Amino acid sequence: MSGILTRLRLMLRRTRVLQILVLLGFWLAGDTLVRWLHLPLPGGVVGMGLLLVLLATGVLRAASVRLGAYWLLAEMLLFFVPAVMAVMEHGEFVGTLGLKIAAVILIGTVAVMATTALIVDFAYRFSLRHSPRHAGEAGHA
Amino acid sequence: MPEPGALFWLVFWPVATIGLYALARLLNRRFARWFTAPLLLTPVLILGLTAVLHTTYADYLRGTHWLVLMLGPATVAFAIPIHEQRATIRRHWPVLLVGVVAGSTIALGTAWGLANLLGLPDVLGRSLMPRSTTTPFAMSMSGEIGGIPDLTAMFVVVTGICGATLGEVMLKWLPLRSSLARGALFGMGAHGAGVAKAHQIGREEGSIAGLVMILAGFVNLLLGPLVAIALR
Repeated sequence: MSGILTRLRLMLRRTRVLQILVLLGFWLAGDTLVRWLHLPLPGGVVGMGLLLVLLATGVLRAASVRLGAYWLLAEMLLFFVPAVMAVMEHGEFVGTLGLKIAAVILIGTVAVMATTALIVDFAYRFSLRHSPRHAGEAGHA
Repeated sequence: MPEPGALFWLVFWPVATIGLYALARLLNRRFARWFTAPLLLTPVLILGLTAVLHTTYADYLRGTHWLVLMLGPATVAFAIPIHEQRATIRRHWPVLLVGVVAGSTIALGTAWGLANLLGLPDVLGRSLMPRSTTTPFAMSMSGEIGGIPDLTAMFVVVTGICGATLGEVMLKWLPLRSSLARGALFGMGAHGAGVAKAHQIGREEGSIAGLVMILAGFVNLLLGPLVAIALR
């Protein structure tokens, strides 16, 4: 019995498709929980929470889903494509209105990214100065 | 030649989408410019194809909406980099939280301010405000503050493309010394697309970006009701 389980575990660690199915299962579980408990959260986030709990408690090893997880993260842009195609429905955005919206997004995003990064960098250096024990351990890549 | 049936298109559009995405990615790897970004080039190519084949958005989406659903398992997948970076996170969460709260406030503020400055209709301003959060969070916030969730989803994606592309340029200009700051830049400014870009820059940057993106989602979940009251 335990021999079969070990074999299954070894198979899982090598097979990306199986791992993606496992991650799909976590998402379905999260989605079901959200619906039952009327949580104000997306199902994927709840599924991620479930997986994090199982990883932290050692019930599941990261190696069992790592291949599948990094594949999904690497190809995530593909999953956005059909959502972007909604632009077909919005002919009214061709022209001045669209340019104004683009300006809001462009200027706003540059402001958000620059401030966030500079504040984090400043806060990081501040925290290093105030806890000299941890200096230089992480963060410098 | 007989007209292809509904089943044909149900298979054709996802295959075409995946194929063109693979092509765009290959091209981007050989020739890395902003206009070969797969999230920009793939929709443009599909747009051309739908125009030639006289396909409506509803017909296109019928065969491809399951691809969007894959964002669910992709969100679950963030657990792995977060788990692997748990030591960094435990040590630096206050720094990241400060960045996310500041970033979210600026995202909401600039959208509101700029939309008013440019004289955009009120509902568009409200739909633009949650655009720096990842799609599921942004759509729920949009409804809460009086925006149109579908429009917000589109603005979120445009923000992702702009942010992921501009972010790479900004890394060269900003004096950022820590991978924390580089990851936060992408996670806060360009959510999913930014996280994907951050993973290309480094594994640590990528997992910080993923964490910041999720943190931003939760911060906006809390900010939503406050913003709704403020805008009333």
